[in-house]
Amino acid sequence: MVPAIQITGLHKTVRVGFRRREVVILRGVDLDVHENDVFGLLGPNGAGKTTTVKVALGLMRPTAGSVQLGVPGVSQVGYLPENPYFYDYLSGREFLGFCARLFGLDASRRRERVEELLREVGLERAADAQLRKYSKGMLQRVGIAQALVNDPQLVLLDEPMTGLDPVGRVEVKRIIQRLHETGKTIMFNSHILSDVHELCTRIAIMREGRVAWTGAVSEALAEAPTLESFFMRVVTA
Amino acid sequence: MNQVVAIAVNTFRETIRDRVLAVIVVFALVMIAGGLWLGSISLGEQGRMMKDFGLVAVTFFGLIVAVFIAAGLVHKEVEKRTVFVLFSKPVSRAAFICGKFIGLCGTMAVVLGGMGVFLFLLVWIVAHDASGMLLVAVAMIYVQLLAIMAVTIFFSTLGSAILASVLGICVFVAGQLSHNVLSLTRLSHNAVTAALSWIVYVVIPNLSAVDVKAGVVGESTLSWGEIGVWTAYLLAYVVVVLALATLVFRRKEF
Amino acid sequence: MLRRALVVLVVLACAGAVVAYQATRPARAPASPKVFVPSPEFFQDFSPSFRTSIADAYYLMLVQYYGEHIQGDKRLDSLPAMATLVTALSPHFTRAYLFSAFALIDAGRPDLAYALLEKGFKANPNDWHFPAYLAFFAYSYGQGKEKDLVAAQWYQKAAELPGSPEYMARLAGILLARGGAKEKAVLLWGQAFLAGDKYSRQRAVSELAKILPKDKEARMRALAPLYGTMPKPEADALVAALLKGYAQ
Repeated sequence: MVPAIQITGLHKTVRVGFRRREVVILRGVDLDVHENDVFGLLGPNGAGKTTTVKVALGLMRPTAGSVQLGVPGVSQVGYLPENPYFYDYLSGREFLGFCARLFGLDASRRRERVEELLREVGLERAADAQLRKYSKGMLQRVGIAQALVNDPQLVLLDEPMTGLDPVGRVEVKRIIQRLHETGKTIMFNSHILSDVHELCTRIAIMREGRVAWTGAVSEALAEAPTLESFFMRVVTA
Repeated sequence: MNQVVAIAVNTFRETIRDRVLAVIVVFALVMIAGGLWLGSISLGEQGRMMKDFGLVAVTFFGLIVAVFIAAGLVHKEVEKRTVFVLFSKPVSRAAFICGKFIGLCGTMAVVLGGMGVFLFLLVWIVAHDASGMLLVAVAMIYVQLLAIMAVTIFFSTLGSAILASVLGICVFVAGQLSHNVLSLTRLSHNAVTAALSWIVYVVIPNLSAVDVKAGVVGESTLSWGEIGVWTAYLLAYVVVVLALATLVFRRKEF
Repeated sequence: MLRRALVVLVVLACAGAVVAYQATRPARAPASPKVFVPSPEFFQDFSPSFRTSIADAYYLMLVQYYGEHIQGDKRLDSLPAMATLVTALSPHFTRAYLFSAFALIDAGRPDLAYALLEKGFKANPNDWHFPAYLAFFAYSYGQGKEKDLVAAQWYQKAAELPGSPEYMARLAGILLARGGAKEKAVLLWGQAFLAGDKYSRQRAVSELAKILPKDKEARMRALAPLYGTMPKPEADALVAALLKGYAQ
């Protein structure tokens, strides 16, 4: 079976500063995300999680190695960036309409899909307010909505629970579970290990630009009493 | 094509809703109306003064709006990280650049059209001296600014927004003096200098080939053929510059 | 409450100080009659679209410069340079030539005025205004007996150009007739009045007032021929200006 994401020997080096100093971000990442996985990509800050996702999406080019997606292309991928910022002069409805148009949906299908998504993330009442008036939680919801506008097979979410109140967190978890039940593959980064424990089927823990451990959540819990203690053991080893 | 249209519409919305734009346009209309005062001290040449200085105001403010908005278009998306939302979808870099440019063309058409109509009405009502050539002159200013917008977008893919706007204004000034550079190529005794001058002459858009305002104030008669060829030249220039901007932007990572 | 009142008072006091300062500035010292005027060559290389704007700006400066100095120190040292610049940058700007020509007379340079109009006619060979003004200047400021002939030739030329009023040829004929120097002068100052701007009109009225009879009836008789060489509204306006102060 073709993995949903297959990353092999991924290296990424960037040049920063006036003197173009080389900084190595990824040092050979090997990672497989299976179809219909709810995959948690974990690691301390600066481990290279966001960079791995950006290379997978084509926002960055790998220095070495490869990324294969099991879907035909980005038209089948949905992405929620970390701390999302959208076009604050647009209303929620206008913004989702814009995203739908980028996928080539025709006018009537666009309208239908936008209303569906607004209902799904609970933003029907705020749909006509400009995004600059949205709270962080509302922006997060609109972010999830725009990631799902094309009904993607592969969904990448970077810190999807950030800024959400408990009600919002329950709703997002429900969305992720529903996506999993409909056969989609989800990969998300999160620092909230309780959510990872609740939602994920498999996880990878990154450290200093490499994957330090990958496997099923149950395998991790077999080696440590809690996911948190397992995580600490891997990243401090 | 859908993506280009979507980005163009979004850019138009973004720029036309910008409050700074509204302030600049109001200021421009005040300056155009200032031509009334100049006309009153011109001993009977009110029509000419209003048209000439009105078109200078349209050019000046059109340039400010075009350069400062164009410089921020790409830069803002990168700075505010909305590029992640865009390029995680099936949007090519070329569609992004074209969509941004076309959206800004729409905004500039509204801005310049508004200023042009205002000037026309003012000249018609006050000096009874308005003619269609005034609107043709505004259209030609618009075409000139298309080239400058394309150049500014190109510079914005290379560096900061401020640098892009400064360079955009420099290219506008250089474009007005294009015929001087041509003279340099002919006067130079050194083959290398002549070749370099020629390259500069070709690279800078020729904004002075057709006398935009002089025709309106009766200093020259414009040939439609000349205007047509010049417009086609500037549009071809826009295509080349946007292609270069796309090539540069393709290399960018976010 | 007290603090707010204090802040308001302070702001009002500052506003008052700003207005008072501006209101008490002394009047500007008279501008120097010598101003810097770049040569036309400096601007010739400028973009064609902006040459006319520069010409217009200098034209306005010329008008203001003339108005300021003709009522003040009567020195128009920089006027020739300004006139040259404006007409070089905007060769079809007819009014600039005509106004500048009169202004150059006041600057004591009728030779430059004549040369300017000749230059204007070369750039605008189909504009009858130029030969008409050249005729006026040739007669009014020329020397010797030939001035009548030269002026008549210019009026003849003006009559041949499209759009010229029908009395151009009549003026030529009048000039070629013998005698009647004062009568000819009245008609020609009438032509100057037709320039339309405030200064030309004032000039025409003041020159005519000098040569016309003081007696009202005689004055009216002397002015009657104007109606044959000027449009009626303009002739009425000129006659009214010259009969101002006389009992109706």
